[in-house]
Amino acid sequence: MKRGGPELPSLADIIAFNNSSAELRCDQIARVSILSNFTADGIEPFLVYQCLKNGIRPTIAFGGYDTVLQDLIEMSGGGHSDQPEIIVFSIILEQLDPAYIELEWNSALAQKRLLALFQTAAEKTNALLVVNTFIPPYDADYGIATGTELTERGAEVSAINRAIRDFVRQNHQRFFLVDWERLARICGEHETMDYRFWYMSKAPFKQPFLNQYALEILKVVRALKGKAKKCLLLDCDNTLWGGVVGEDGISGIKLDPHSYPGSVYYDFQRQVLHLYGRGVILALVSKNNEEDVLEVLERHPHCLIKREHLAMWRVNWNEKTENIQSIAEELNLGTDSLVFVDDSPLECDLVGAMLPDVEVCQVPDKLYLLPRLLSRDGLFDTLAVSSEDRNRSAMYRVEAVRKQAERAFGSVEDYLATLGLELTICQAGKEDMARIAQLTQKTNQFNLTTRRYSAAQIEAFSQSGTAAVFSLNVRDRFGDFGLTGVLIAFLDGGVGRIDSFQLSCRVLGRGLETVFLNHCLDRLEERWNVSEWFAEYIPSRKNGQTANFYANAGFVAIRSDAAGTTFRCEAGTRATSPISYITVKEGTDAELS
Amino acid sequence: MPNYPEMKLKEVMAKVFNVHTETITADASPDTIENWDSLRHMNLVLALEQEFNIEFTDDQVVEVLSYKLIKIVLGEHGVVFE
Repeated sequence: MKRGGPELPSLADIIAFNNSSAELRCDQIARVSILSNFTADGIEPFLVYQCLKNGIRPTIAFGGYDTVLQDLIEMSGGGHSDQPEIIVFSIILEQLDPAYIELEWNSALAQKRLLALFQTAAEKTNALLVVNTFIPPYDADYGIATGTELTERGAEVSAINRAIRDFVRQNHQRFFLVDWERLARICGEHETMDYRFWYMSKAPFKQPFLNQYALEILKVVRALKGKAKKCLLLDCDNTLWGGVVGEDGISGIKLDPHSYPGSVYYDFQRQVLHLYGRGVILALVSKNNEEDVLEVLERHPHCLIKREHLAMWRVNWNEKTENIQSIAEELNLGTDSLVFVDDSPLECDLVGAMLPDVEVCQVPDKLYLLPRLLSRDGLFDTLAVSSEDRNRSAMYRVEAVRKQAERAFGSVEDYLATLGLELTICQAGKEDMARIAQLTQKTNQFNLTTRRYSAAQIEAFSQSGTAAVFSLNVRDRFGDFGLTGVLIAFLDGGVGRIDSFQLSCRVLGRGLETVFLNHCLDRLEERWNVSEWFAEYIPSRKNGQTANFYANAGFVAIRSDAAGTTFRCEAGTRATSPISYITVKEGTDAELS
Repeated sequence: MPNYPEMKLKEVMAKVFNVHTETITADASPDTIENWDSLRHMNLVLALEQEFNIEFTDDQVVEVLSYKLIKIVLGEHGVVFE
């Protein structure tokens, strides 16, 4: 999909698009509830539209008007399957505390009510919870007069907003912030406040604000549904620096932070490195002589991006679409995990047409907007930034060393035998929940059922007494892969059902998939007295390689249709042959209540 | 020559209420169109303002409760039908 294209369609066209979307291909659904103390329905067309545009089909339920707490309590009593995955609280001060319109208002009561509501939500549901800050008043209560004896609403709103931000930081596994104060600053009063419909229908927000709001909620939905981008592919000439290195030479290109336009490219490189620091994989795709580009990376005094930041590069004269595909293959990533930045409209159009899943970002005509190109839309946003993310680039560099070692051996087995592969398998503890949830959200290829869960849901499973959540940690003599595998099983009497089984693509191709599965099932058979297992394979666009996984592990297919295959296996009949080059260590199981 | 504003009006109403344009007849109102509830009325007002680049007065927002009335009010804003 190409970005920077036409503006948002008109409201009528958005509604028409949403209403005719039944045929649209969406590989994820999302259940969102919006609980509000004002008429919030105006956001629906925008939120539905933005989700659909991202391949997510949402069902959006609105609570009653100003019945937030009642809605929440009813929700917690409902059945398991239609519980919302995301609850959006949409709260305005005018309704939360009617005294807000009085002079001398202070925020204590509103803050108490609000935080109590958040606590109730955290206790009564397993959903991700999205909350908002408040928009400060546009006028000062006492005009230019001020003083310690005056209680000003502006200052009070700042205080309550600070309390909300602190609360979200402290409860970041469950709570996400949509900072209305920031959105209102972006939109300005005229595009934020709808005074007309506020007084007529208790609907206080204009469409541009509602669309911004929808985009913020979308970031949470997209991250939960595994739609976060993982890898950034960068052109070089007129993208990372101004000019053409092959013609202008290393001293002729524009990258000096103290003069325009070098200042723009320098800042863009800094933005790219910020993403690198958050775990985004970087690669170059450039039509150039390789040595020219590498010389800039190594020798240019202002080039911030260095060789060591790059997972790989394709600097040659091949078609960019070919180069992009080969990078996706080598990194084991789907093309929908890629973002491509180039200044050439031709290259952008070609990639957009040939590889429609790649997010294409063209360097803007207004060059000074380049540094904002990637930071704006939260393309790479994940629900949490884990230590695995921050170390990811190091892991990819280690991987390159591994690949070199691999080439030195005659057979793959010979090579694997020298790796010293060590698996640590245990029932996951509280500190692992965020990483496990992230794996369920991001793993696409070796994922048997592609069920996405939040950290709160994973924690609820592990506390339930009728489910088990296993984690796999892998290391070898080159380094640590971290937590890279998850198995979730539900147990009902003597019957076990494998709900989720997945491994990060970084640890595939070493034969450890079956070892991990068997180890978990053996443990559960002992501990829970399981006599038979059921497991599913649910096909997605990405997980074709796992279609025969259970059959190869000794399971028998008992039912198969377009929606997937169900497998069965009696305890003790699985094909178990230990692999000599893999050591399995029992981890310390978490103490679970 | 097709009557352009009239077509545009019918299209906007059909999109907002999720019905075929043929359903938008001269006597269209909340009585004939089931989807014309108070929430969608708000969308209708916003969509009409956007498409015709006008702003209804607050009285007009409540007034435009039938196809005929919408045409009259749009006429007051200088939209020429026929």
